[in-house]
Amino acid sequence: MTAIRSEIRFILNGEEVRLAEVAPDETLLDYLRLRRSLTGTKEGCAEGDCGACTVLVGRLTPDGLVYESVNSCIRFLGSLDGTHVVTVEHLAPVAGRLHPVQQAMVDFHGSQCGFCTPGFVMSLYALWMQDPKPSDRRIEKALQGNLCRCTGYEAIVRAARAISSYGDANDDPLAAERAEIAGRLNAMRDGARVEIGTGSKRFFIPASVDDLADLLETEPKATIVAGATDVGLWVTKFMREIAPVVFIGHLDELRRTSEKDGVLSIGAGVSYTEAFRLLAGRVPALATLIDRIGGEQVRNMGTIGGNIANGSPIGDTPPPLIALGATLTLRKGRSRRTITLEEFFIDYGKQDRRPGEFVEAVHVPLPAAGSRFAIYKVTKRRDEDITATLGAFNLMLDASGKVEKIRIAYGGMAATPKRAHAVEAAIAGKPWTRETVDAALAEYERDFRPLTDMRASADYRMLASKNLLVRFFLETSGRAAPVQVGRYEAA
Amino acid sequence: MNEAAPLPKGNMGEPVARIDARLKVTGDARYPADLPVRDVAHAVLVTSPIARGRLTQLHTEAARAVPGVLDIIAAGDVDGELERPQFGNSGSTSIAPLHDRRIWHDGQIVALVVAETFEAASEAAALVRADFQAEEPSSGFGSPGIEIIPAAGASPLYPENPEAGDFDAAWATAEISIDETYSTPTQHHNPMELFSTTASWFDGDVTVNESSQNVTGWKNTLARQLKVDPEHVRVVSPYVGGAFGSRGPMTPRTAIIAHAARRLGRPVRCVVTRKQAYTTQTYRAETRHHIRMGAMKDGRIVAFRHEGWELTSRPDNYVVGGTGTTARMYGYGAVETKVSLVKADRNTPSYMRSPPETPYVYALENAMDEMAVALAMDPVEFRRVNDTMTEPIEGKPFSSRSLMECYDQAAEAFGWNRRTRGIGSMRDGDWLVGMGCATAVYPTNVAPCTARVRLTADGRIRVQSGSHEIGTGIRTVAAQMAAERLGAPFWSVEVEMGDSSLPPAPVSGGSTSTASVCSAVMKACDAIRARLFHAAVTANDGPLSGLAPADLGIADGRIVAGARVEAVANAMERMGVGEIEEYAEFAPEGSSADAIANLYKGKLEMRMGEEGAKVKYAFGAEFVEVRIHRLTRETRVSRLVGAFAAGRIMNPRTARSQLMGGMIWGVGCALHEATEMDRHSARYVNTDLQDYLVPVNADIQDVKVILVEEKDTDVNPAGVKGLGELGNVGTPAAVASAVYHATGKRIRDLPIRIEDLL
Ligand code: FES
Ligand code: FES
Repeated sequence: MTAIRSEIRFILNGEEVRLAEVAPDETLLDYLRLRRSLTGTKEGCAEGDCGACTVLVGRLTPDGLVYESVNSCIRFLGSLDGTHVVTVEHLAPVAGRLHPVQQAMVDFHGSQCGFCTPGFVMSLYALWMQDPKPSDRRIEKALQGNLCRCTGYEAIVRAARAISSYGDANDDPLAAERAEIAGRLNAMRDGARVEIGTGSKRFFIPASVDDLADLLETEPKATIVAGATDVGLWVTKFMREIAPVVFIGHLDELRRTSEKDGVLSIGAGVSYTEAFRLLAGRVPALATLIDRIGGEQVRNMGTIGGNIANGSPIGDTPPPLIALGATLTLRKGRSRRTITLEEFFIDYGKQDRRPGEFVEAVHVPLPAAGSRFAIYKVTKRRDEDITATLGAFNLMLDASGKVEKIRIAYGGMAATPKRAHAVEAAIAGKPWTRETVDAALAEYERDFRPLTDMRASADYRMLASKNLLVRFFLETSGRAAPVQVGRYEAA
Repeated sequence: MNEAAPLPKGNMGEPVARIDARLKVTGDARYPADLPVRDVAHAVLVTSPIARGRLTQLHTEAARAVPGVLDIIAAGDVDGELERPQFGNSGSTSIAPLHDRRIWHDGQIVALVVAETFEAASEAAALVRADFQAEEPSSGFGSPGIEIIPAAGASPLYPENPEAGDFDAAWATAEISIDETYSTPTQHHNPMELFSTTASWFDGDVTVNESSQNVTGWKNTLARQLKVDPEHVRVVSPYVGGAFGSRGPMTPRTAIIAHAARRLGRPVRCVVTRKQAYTTQTYRAETRHHIRMGAMKDGRIVAFRHEGWELTSRPDNYVVGGTGTTARMYGYGAVETKVSLVKADRNTPSYMRSPPETPYVYALENAMDEMAVALAMDPVEFRRVNDTMTEPIEGKPFSSRSLMECYDQAAEAFGWNRRTRGIGSMRDGDWLVGMGCATAVYPTNVAPCTARVRLTADGRIRVQSGSHEIGTGIRTVAAQMAAERLGAPFWSVEVEMGDSSLPPAPVSGGSTSTASVCSAVMKACDAIRARLFHAAVTANDGPLSGLAPADLGIADGRIVAGARVEAVANAMERMGVGEIEEYAEFAPEGSSADAIANLYKGKLEMRMGEEGAKVKYAFGAEFVEVRIHRLTRETRVSRLVGAFAAGRIMNPRTARSQLMGGMIWGVGCALHEATEMDRHSARYVNTDLQDYLVPVNADIQDVKVILVEEKDTDVNPAGVKGLGELGNVGTPAAVASAVYHATGKRIRDLPIRIEDLL
């Protein structure tokens, strides 16, 4: 029988916190601002969109203590058990000297009204600790989740480039304290399950994946929260009751990955940031896509499993995973079943997940040698924007140039991520030529009936989606240089 | 020295780092909702789900049963206690949500729930049920049931439509003409700081902490609504997390929260959600334009007609009225203008960064580009042909106008001469490249202002003025002005602002702050100098004894006349004082005799750029390069160059930052920003930062700001033209012309959407 603990424990800046009074939907931001008067952390939206509330969360991983930026407004306090929370107050000046990140922001005029500034400082701080001499692309990635309405960003980017000229990341307090903090966090690990609250205010932090499975048998209606990038919004934006809650973000077992026979298995708790690292060398197109999901904070928090389990029609990862032929392992109690990812999405807001069941892992067949795989995401604003349409294409030609295998899936074109069966059928077995592609375009009307919303009109979606196939053809037939829709690098 | 701090050219101050930078990077700058308040209760707004009709009944039983709920205030509960809000004169709207049961717009406040905690208040607010008698709303342009009225005379701020000469006759003589319509959408300011009000009463005095661009105006407006003497009201707003006009006029919530605190006998704080701010705060009204422009083949414009339609609410006549600026922009010949208001079931719009110029100059500059194309002229040369040193409406000279200098410097830096004229003639792989340009303009307004300056014998200076640090750097430049006039280092100056108990300053709007506050600070400093100089020259002994005050100067803590110097501290000792404090009232030329008295009462007399013997405008030229993907039509702005001339630049670092931020606003306005409407329910739909797209870092590529040297002694004593609202004016039209150059598609309706380019 697993031991039960009825408080959470974490380190806030330098201080160890033990809390027994925590609501399942209490956010870290409210805790900091309302309960602790730590008001350096700002609230700009409470919906994970602006980054004003950015703090760092350090957690022990098999590779040691890792600090990541997160949006405290949608991060639930309960999920911080066993972590080190670092707010802007922790960067207090030493002997009157500002922290290098802060001094760079002063000198490069990175603030006007200043409201976004602590959030930017924390994002830059996380970046600098990971990469003291970041490339522009790295800086851009690190700042994707922070909005500034005043400065126009340029000054902040320049500050980011200059941080290391103000100090050495190795001298940073968090680097110096690392061993000590890791020791303290380790000491907090007692292998217990945490249970707090009663009635509609309950939440749980299972001790292990087996404990999670047991727990869900007794609490089949519980809301499973991994990164909280979706569920956080259910609470702050849509005022939904989510209790009882089971937090799973801390479960290392769900963050495991393995590769066997050309199939990559990714634990449901793997964050986008971790998945990016994993995929960068194996499926570069997928890694590039992940780079454009949310901002850095959301990528640090959000999980592949969560993106799938919540079944959003505009979730960005399912279409490419469907095109790759991914499968899911669902677990309930001690039993597991495996289904294809496309089967999992039944209808809008409806997935094939039974009460008490949870997504344990997703298995992604890596593109076969000689095959071509591409993903195109179309948005209005380049980053941190919801997809208008997203197409993923997986093509294998035979020796004669005929299409041996093709899988195409789209997001944003239907109530669920959806495969383009009719289009595929029109292409399969034919020579991979412009004529084949043009003939297949007519089939889009059979596969999709997109909607008009504020992101794009139905006509635009249809036309742009067809154009994506044309673009895939041009790129794979050597008639156009690969197009990366993105930043134009000035010569 | 780095890029952010450009070397000052002539007539520019030092690019010192902002005075409050340290507080901002450490998180120590306290915005109103950050201030710890003892025993504070939390309030949450309940808003209407219908846009037009009547509230018939409110059911609050379930809400009251939530543990921790302290009070629920709804229609009828404020009768006799609160005056109705008024529109105009620092009030955003006359809609009186707790006085009337009439629903004027979606999201109108219908009740306020106050509880021990924010959670309890939210939970209870969600349980308040309201019954309505709903009517079919009119959402805006083109909806049945709208009312269209002439703007001229509908608001004191827009007495008449500017015009000159005989437009019809001139139009008939034109050799080339264009006749087109344009439109701009609803936009919301979306400053990063959420809107909030915190009110606390002590002994009959109320203090309101709320981010404000007008603490003195609000103090008076709030006093009237609360039915107390203004002496008992204090509005405090030390740091403001972005404003852009949204915190200029006071909204009805402020008095409601102050009243709730009075009723409850305990402080109340209300932080409004981003969604609710869309309907309980103000916004930029959507506009439509019809422009006719006639020119001769040599490029001279002979006839210009600009007609505008602007959305407003049913009860309030908010007028944008940008024809005042567009009618004076070029040497047109005959001019005719007309503005109409379109009244619909919407909340009342108001000022948003360059309120008239953003939509109206967008339309004009688009038309200018279209005309240049029709004339087969280079767009820059076309503007040069029509540049003028005298405005066409009253024939008054411009106090200074460096428009073409801006064009030349920006064109050079941008590489405009590399542009090839043909549509789609410039490519980079699969990207179509387009280049465009447009004029930026903003009137130089100035307003009465007061300031108090104290110099102590140890050389420290304190400046006090009830202006507002909304991010512009006003604290910094006020400190620079005092340091310069009193010959002291910048770091020795401390600046207090954002409090209605300080000497009053005007609303921080209309780009008046630097000119007005610096003029008042300068005047107070000059009075201190006069006293010091007087003491130095009238002394029986001492190095400066017997000299004329006019021969003295002040630098590095010393009074100087050639080689003869005396330390300021000595002169003060001679005067037998440890400090000198001077209070000054600055009233711009042409102000009424009551201008200062009215300022104290919260009635602002702003002197507009068009008033007076000379017309006062700041100008700029903006160049844009866009890249549009051949297949998907995704549009990215790859380069921006802007050159701006705005009289004396107090601080090139803060000035550049304002202009750069403004240009990026312009990019957002061109490509992304629009509050979408469900026309059937007259409800905004994209009410968050996920779907209301403001520019993000990755949208911004290569931006260059050039500060053009300009000296103008006519504008105001400080010689300053405001520039906080200049940078965003030209960008949208420049983007639209670049898009045309790349694709041949002339997009006349903002924002430019990918589907428009298919
Ligand atoms: S407050 Fe905006 S992301 Fe958290
Ligand atoms: S400085 Fe105002 S939001 Fe960034």
